[in-house]
Amino acid sequence: MIGYIGRRIVAIVPIVFIATLITFALIHISPIDPAEAYLTAAHIYPTDELLQQKRHEFGLDRPLLVQYVHTLGNIATLDFGKSYLTNQPVWNEVVSKLPATTELAFWSMLFSALVSIPLGVLAAVYKNSWIDMLSRIIAYLGASIPQFWLGYLLIFFFAVKLDWLPVEGRGDWRNLVLPTMTLSMVLIAVYTRLLRASMLDQLQETYVQYARMRGLRERVIMLKHVLKMAIMPLISGMGINLGKLLTGTIIVEQVFSWPGFGRYFVEAIFNRDIPVIQCYIFFAACLFILCNLLVDLVQLYMDPRISLKGRAKR
Amino acid sequence: MKSFYSKKSVTPIMIVLVAILLVVAGCSSNQNSTTATDNKAVPKSITMSWPRDIGTMNPHTYNPSQLFAQSMMYEPLVSYQSNGKLTPALAKSWDISKDGKVYTFHLRPNVKFSDGTPFNADIVKKNFDAVLKHKDTHSWLGIVGVIDQTEVVDDHTFRLTLTEPYYPVLQDLSVVRPFRFLGAAGFPDNGDTAEGIKEPVGTGPWLLSEYKQDEYAVFKQNPNYWGTLPDVQQVTIKIIPDAETRVAAFEKGDLDLIYGEGVISLDAFNQLRENQEYTTQLSEPVGTRSLLLNSSNPKLADIRVRTALNQGFNKKDMVEGITSGLEEPADSILSKNYPYTNIDLKPVTYNVASSQALLDEAGWKLPAGGTVREKNGEPLEFELIYDKTDPIQKAMAETIQAEWGALGAKVNLSGLELTVQIKRLKANDFDLYFWYNYGAPYDPHSFINVVASPGFGISETLSAVPNKKELDQQIRATLSSTDETKRQELYRSILTTLQEQSAIVPISYIKKTAVYHKNIAQFVFPANRDENPFSGITLNAQ
Repeated sequence: MIGYIGRRIVAIVPIVFIATLITFALIHISPIDPAEAYLTAAHIYPTDELLQQKRHEFGLDRPLLVQYVHTLGNIATLDFGKSYLTNQPVWNEVVSKLPATTELAFWSMLFSALVSIPLGVLAAVYKNSWIDMLSRIIAYLGASIPQFWLGYLLIFFFAVKLDWLPVEGRGDWRNLVLPTMTLSMVLIAVYTRLLRASMLDQLQETYVQYARMRGLRERVIMLKHVLKMAIMPLISGMGINLGKLLTGTIIVEQVFSWPGFGRYFVEAIFNRDIPVIQCYIFFAACLFILCNLLVDLVQLYMDPRISLKGRAKR
Repeated sequence: MKSFYSKKSVTPIMIVLVAILLVVAGCSSNQNSTTATDNKAVPKSITMSWPRDIGTMNPHTYNPSQLFAQSMMYEPLVSYQSNGKLTPALAKSWDISKDGKVYTFHLRPNVKFSDGTPFNADIVKKNFDAVLKHKDTHSWLGIVGVIDQTEVVDDHTFRLTLTEPYYPVLQDLSVVRPFRFLGAAGFPDNGDTAEGIKEPVGTGPWLLSEYKQDEYAVFKQNPNYWGTLPDVQQVTIKIIPDAETRVAAFEKGDLDLIYGEGVISLDAFNQLRENQEYTTQLSEPVGTRSLLLNSSNPKLADIRVRTALNQGFNKKDMVEGITSGLEEPADSILSKNYPYTNIDLKPVTYNVASSQALLDEAGWKLPAGGTVREKNGEPLEFELIYDKTDPIQKAMAETIQAEWGALGAKVNLSGLELTVQIKRLKANDFDLYFWYNYGAPYDPHSFINVVASPGFGISETLSAVPNKKELDQQIRATLSSTDETKRQELYRSILTTLQEQSAIVPISYIKKTAVYHKNIAQFVFPANRDENPFSGITLNAQ
């Protein structure tokens, strides 16, 4: 098991290497000069002298290979340099944005699981009933409503009209409700349908017939056996989404003025803040790999057959 | 199956669902966010939103510090007021030598920084020297290139010596950055503020009392302020990057004021304007939206073609239709509220028949059955580049395309990112380009400076104007002139030439907007485009 985890962690190295290479190439292919973007954002006209000075300051006047090797060296020591925009160490800024993003990701994931699991189970058990129809409607809405629009709608009704919740910002639990609901809607839509389909598949399995023949109560069959197996695809989906949520939910953070990672990254892109972009890519690559690893471990734990396969390979 | 559908078995599931609903419904306690930004407890306080974090509050650097916030804490030697009037600020008076090269500032006595330390000539020199250590960074500001020496004459007298006369010294010193003053406690150990400051210490009416990056900033009155304190006692800035969210927060009552340029959509502004609960206000023009017709393009080198295009679109209808009155049709490149620009220039009026006649006269004829004019087999075709993120530019570009198309001039539209646009402007790689002047206190001197100086794209645009050399000479003479009357005459001549040449077509005057609740009794826009508006706010008694 430890060897398996170790191998997966080591796999981060080539993936990060490829990710940084692609990012580096894309940044330098882009027609926008980071020095020019910096000056424009600062309301300073980018004269040739100023551009030259800024390029030198940012190290952009060095050969591309030297710049890339320098970047790799810095990443290896977790030194991402200073942001072009704020002149502050990038790593410190990233770390300062993480609590807000993690908080939102955690609650969104929890809320969507708490709604979609019971709804998915009920929709499968009572196939074609009103609850199945309800889950279908929620799924259609969640999948088709753009997140920013849903955010505005929730703000309009719950914050402006009903005055129940704050419009924006990060504060106490009330500030969490609307962004969490906005983020969760699409997750609930996907998870509910995923779980419903998976449950229906499992219900066709012989072990269910056998359990019924043994006289087990339907509730026990569903919750203890069928759900345990049916939830596997949901865990995979949640793992991928956890990575997405933790790397920043750009639209929701923008609409609800949530001071998280997504907003920070978007601003970095607009300003061609290369050190921040590079740090983000590194961080995102690591995070996705770790989330996938986490999903695999949970699945290994829940389904011993996967575990056995893994051992057989070794 | 049926056995699953018993009340008993469904109960736990329903409990979970109900619990979730309760969590949501529990929000109905009518309690709003109780973050540090809750302003209601403080009398005479207001809350405003801003799209970006206020930044590091370093008075000598640019990004990410926001100009309005810097202006709340840091003050200039000289203040820019309506119609370009320069009034004493931290300097109570100044003397200018006859040759225009030596400026002696008599500093206001009894001024203290927010930490109680005195403001004197030593700290003025320290700040100037910190800025001038990075001349390249600040070279965009004309004064930086001509400062020869900074000198402490006595405790309250500071002298600035220039290498050559440069009349807009005082205007340049009134801008929000970089020539404003940080207290000694804010300087880093090596004195180089470009690397950062220890703490924001200024002489202004406000001090930063609470700050959470990307969330909010609270400013309180500076108890050591030398002047009359504003009526507002506390200002909270909420960082709200999204314009629609800003409007929602305002309608909910979380914000007292929305202020700035383009901070909310035109639709939202109109919607708020129609609501009797709010007051909306527009400023005097703060800048001009113009269209550059690049005379270095052979087709646009002919003044008849430029004039034909200038008078070939209905500016009034276009500006009013697209901006719903938020912008005003512009008759001249600079509005009349700058120094030296209050002159009567002959406006170019909409006249399709005259446009067509001018194009015919210039040799651009419509071929039989064709829609695009031609001359020697060449079509009258241009590329208009616009900022793809700016809906107003896009709508105007489309209108111009349609109107000039009807004249027989084909316009191809290219929506670009701002930085790419600027790159093409600098490289003189464009036909038609939306351009903006700098506004007060930078203009009119910054405007004429870019007309004469290569590298900004404007001089290049005008390169085929017949009297360009003479124009450049006049501009250089204006900037170094020490004679007020002569300077006014030079400005008249320069602006008249530019008006006649139609290479810079004025489209509309941009205005700042303010929308506020009834708790604000009076709101006065600052004369300086970059200054904060809080000193001009009077609140109703609570």
